[in-house]
Amino acid sequence: MPDWKLEVERRLAAQRLDASRRNAIVDELSQHLQDRYQELLSAGAGEAEAYREVLEELENSDRFAAGLPAGLRRPGRELPAQGGTPSGNLAVDFLRDVRYGFRSMVKAPAFSFFAVLTLALGIGATTTVFTLVNTLLLHPLPVHDPSRLECVYTTEVKGHGQSGNLLPTSYLNLKDYQARNSAFSGVGGFSPPLVTTLSEGTATERFFGQLVTSDYFETLGIAPVRGRFFRRGETSTPGSAPVAVLSYNAWKIRFDRAPDIVGKTLAINGIRFTVIGVAPPGFLGISAVFGPDVWLPATMARQVLPPALQDILTDRGKPFFEAVARLKPGVSRRQAEADLQTIASSLRQQYPDENAGRTVSVEPVTTALFSTTGGERGVALASGVLLVIVGLVLLIACSNVANLLIARAVGRRQEIAVRLAIGANRWRLFRQLLTESVVLGVLGGIGGLAIGYEGCRFLWSFRPAEVARNMVDPRIDPTVFLFALALALATSFIFGVAPSLRASRTDLVGGLKEEAHLAAAGGRSGRFQKVLLTGQVALSLVLLIAASLFLRAVERAYSIDPGFDVKNLAVFMMNPEQVGYDAVRLDEFHREVRQHVAAMPGIAAVSWASNLPFWSSPSRGVEKEGQAVRKAEALSAVTNTVDVDYFKVMGISLVQGRSFADGDREGSVPVVIINEDLARRYWPQGDALGKHVHLIGDDTLRQIVGIVKNSDYTTLGEAPQPCLFLPMRQNPGGNLNLYVRAADDPAAVLDEVQRAIKDLAPAVDVSDIRTGARLIDQILWPARIVLSLLGVFGLLALTLASVGLYGLLAYSVRSRQREIGVRMALGASRSAVLRLVLRQGMVLVAMGVAIGLALSLLIGRAFSRMLFGLSPADPLALMGASAVLLLVALLASYIPALAASRMEPMRALREG
Amino acid sequence: MGDQNNPDREWKKGGAELLILSLLEQQARHGYDICKLIEARSAGALRFHVTTLYPLLYRLEERGLVQGRWVEKPNQRRRRYYSLTAEGRRMLALQRQSWQAFVEAMGRVMGVENA
Repeated sequence: MPDWKLEVERRLAAQRLDASRRNAIVDELSQHLQDRYQELLSAGAGEAEAYREVLEELENSDRFAAGLPAGLRRPGRELPAQGGTPSGNLAVDFLRDVRYGFRSMVKAPAFSFFAVLTLALGIGATTTVFTLVNTLLLHPLPVHDPSRLECVYTTEVKGHGQSGNLLPTSYLNLKDYQARNSAFSGVGGFSPPLVTTLSEGTATERFFGQLVTSDYFETLGIAPVRGRFFRRGETSTPGSAPVAVLSYNAWKIRFDRAPDIVGKTLAINGIRFTVIGVAPPGFLGISAVFGPDVWLPATMARQVLPPALQDILTDRGKPFFEAVARLKPGVSRRQAEADLQTIASSLRQQYPDENAGRTVSVEPVTTALFSTTGGERGVALASGVLLVIVGLVLLIACSNVANLLIARAVGRRQEIAVRLAIGANRWRLFRQLLTESVVLGVLGGIGGLAIGYEGCRFLWSFRPAEVARNMVDPRIDPTVFLFALALALATSFIFGVAPSLRASRTDLVGGLKEEAHLAAAGGRSGRFQKVLLTGQVALSLVLLIAASLFLRAVERAYSIDPGFDVKNLAVFMMNPEQVGYDAVRLDEFHREVRQHVAAMPGIAAVSWASNLPFWSSPSRGVEKEGQAVRKAEALSAVTNTVDVDYFKVMGISLVQGRSFADGDREGSVPVVIINEDLARRYWPQGDALGKHVHLIGDDTLRQIVGIVKNSDYTTLGEAPQPCLFLPMRQNPGGNLNLYVRAADDPAAVLDEVQRAIKDLAPAVDVSDIRTGARLIDQILWPARIVLSLLGVFGLLALTLASVGLYGLLAYSVRSRQREIGVRMALGASRSAVLRLVLRQGMVLVAMGVAIGLALSLLIGRAFSRMLFGLSPADPLALMGASAVLLLVALLASYIPALAASRMEPMRALREG
Repeated sequence: MGDQNNPDREWKKGGAELLILSLLEQQARHGYDICKLIEARSAGALRFHVTTLYPLLYRLEERGLVQGRWVEKPNQRRRRYYSLTAEGRRMLALQRQSWQAFVEAMGRVMGVENA
């Protein structure tokens, strides 16, 4: 019996029918035809004759729709969703397409899951890095109109001393700039972050403080979240205003958001300060990364600073404050600088001793914001590199999804051809397919935001716990949301346009002939997919190479010789004078601790020193005997006050002369030890030993009794800089750190040493302990963050690329089933089939590897500055990364190749 | 039905509508039934194809003159039966009147010619 439904459907296929009524209409019409057919048969007609006659009924079926009432013809909700006519209303079409997009996602859950996951990973990684950029570069200073803020530095007049350095300004000079300038509406001074001791009862803890002048907060234009900031009047007389402003994080974390914080008193370095306000969240002072816990008035310097610095308010020669200033409307940076330089030149004439050779420079506020992080350009470069890298990961993710979409579109060729046949227009179809991509993209974006959030938490978990509340918090704000959304949309277009265009160009006849899978194996879309895949392999190789280069570089950095022996070294930080120790008690404390700890088992040597390794060390002008120069023109050297045995503890070898001894004390001949660099600069002939030097501002002539090897003072792998060591007992009064060399792993004795000190001096806080290995860890902290990011991104890229490779091969094996079946039926061995598929995958991979290697060599140059001297063409990194990639790719192709070789030829032929 | 340019298309359509409405006046019928009745009563002079009958029916339904309802009878496939609505009856009466007036007018004109 003829299938009338089929006949009706075939003829109505091209008609625009309301889909909800379509079935009913087909039912009714075919019932009619059936009745007619039965009647003709029962009237004695032959089947063929009856059939022909019934079909005549369907003549002019193209007019069927034309005769229908508008209600049945008008495209219903279903019709355009299947790629039908545009409704003329873009928004309506779009919403329909979105609905349809969701539905077709649900129909292919595995595809949708992988596509969304892939995109989420790519977008998430990018969002993480962008949050970093948003925090550090886009919003580093949450104050009013930061673009009008400038920093004021003291510099050397050209041709003098170590010019080019940006130095702080002395308090008195700063006050003069403040009072006499006409370019700025406000000038505020701030000190570097200072370690202070906060005590509560007998408990003590480290608290970072910063001295600021009374105009500081006003100049920045911020408002406190609690209480108020400093008033001009209250900070005019030195020592008169024991008031403090807490940072938001200190209030939140240390004081648990105490609502009654304003009015409370804090004992800082033994002085009682009254809290008058809390700074707004996110404000770290003039720094992009590190902020103090508390701001104190500059006029309290004498009460807060160690003895050596107590005269900074009165000594014009002691530069201590950096300055931030707000330009008056209409004044440019150059004009402001010219204005200040006029003041500087009159200060040179007025105070030649302190200001000779000195002038002033006005720099953008970003100079100060990033002064501890290698400058804004360094941060921007690092962020740029990370963004490019994470962009590559995203690109790989996009091309992966594009490949998935193409494969899926090939599977949907029939569906698409049917839509075209029933009158869908290609532009509309393209738009609808693209909308499906957008739906995927937006879902990926939402997932990406979540991953980005977690990524930031992961990234921020690297910050040292003991200063976590002083470090910048990730800024996840509307900018980040907008970025993720824009990224989602942009990626939807990147991965969606090509496949959608391709699919909407589906050849109608070919598509309907169910040749879909045949077209996939070697057709144009197959070529396009191969190009995408080769690109993916190349990009992931670039990332892997970047990661392994960095891994090698960090490894190398760890083996850099800092000039002292970090192994078995431990440093204990404490500030006894901040809990009221005077000079006599301090001297006693230092001697007792040293003797006590040195006698403990497992300790090889003990000493005290004022400087911390890899920390910005104080520099002082040094003059050699008989050389009358002005204060400002002397060679500047790192000065370190150390106890006997210091060089033994540090493992710094003596080149000439002797080390300090117990006899070097007050009353004996003043002595110093200098490093090779200082010796070479002042006595190039090598006759430094026995000569005399004196420090600027101190008339004591000191004899050089020893010369030691250079070592790294401020950072790892630095260029040699002059250094001068003073014996502790000839230079008393500074704050010292305890250096301990253990016979073995210092971790074993850390607790015991700490307990011993606590026993001797219960009030002294010794919470900050660092082993030598941790010192190196900390100095390499940014490098390690970059390394772990690169590692994560490299792995992500490798995973995405190999999943893509696997997918492409598996798909191609499935679509070549018949061909493989034929080959096997004609006698191809299983191993030949295995080789065939493997070769197909590995040829693409080999091409990708070649391109990736070339790319890496090209862009490696940009990297070379960050590699601690490693060549960007380091063969081990290049070969290692390529080997890993080839291995994973081989595995990814082996699985589908194995599947192909295990195919049953007969089944393959039947089903293919 | 004739092609789009035929000037009496509407008359024919009107006539076809009238035919269907009148066939449904006494009882509900399905499409095939209507088709057969028209062919039989006109002795084969008037014939409807599937592609013309059903659009007509649907249009009448859309205008609220007839109502279609799926009916399932024992031992039979389900069929869609059409019946007249109240509006349909009014329309039938109206069209019948105007049709008769039209036919009379035609008759008179043609009668005069013939006379």
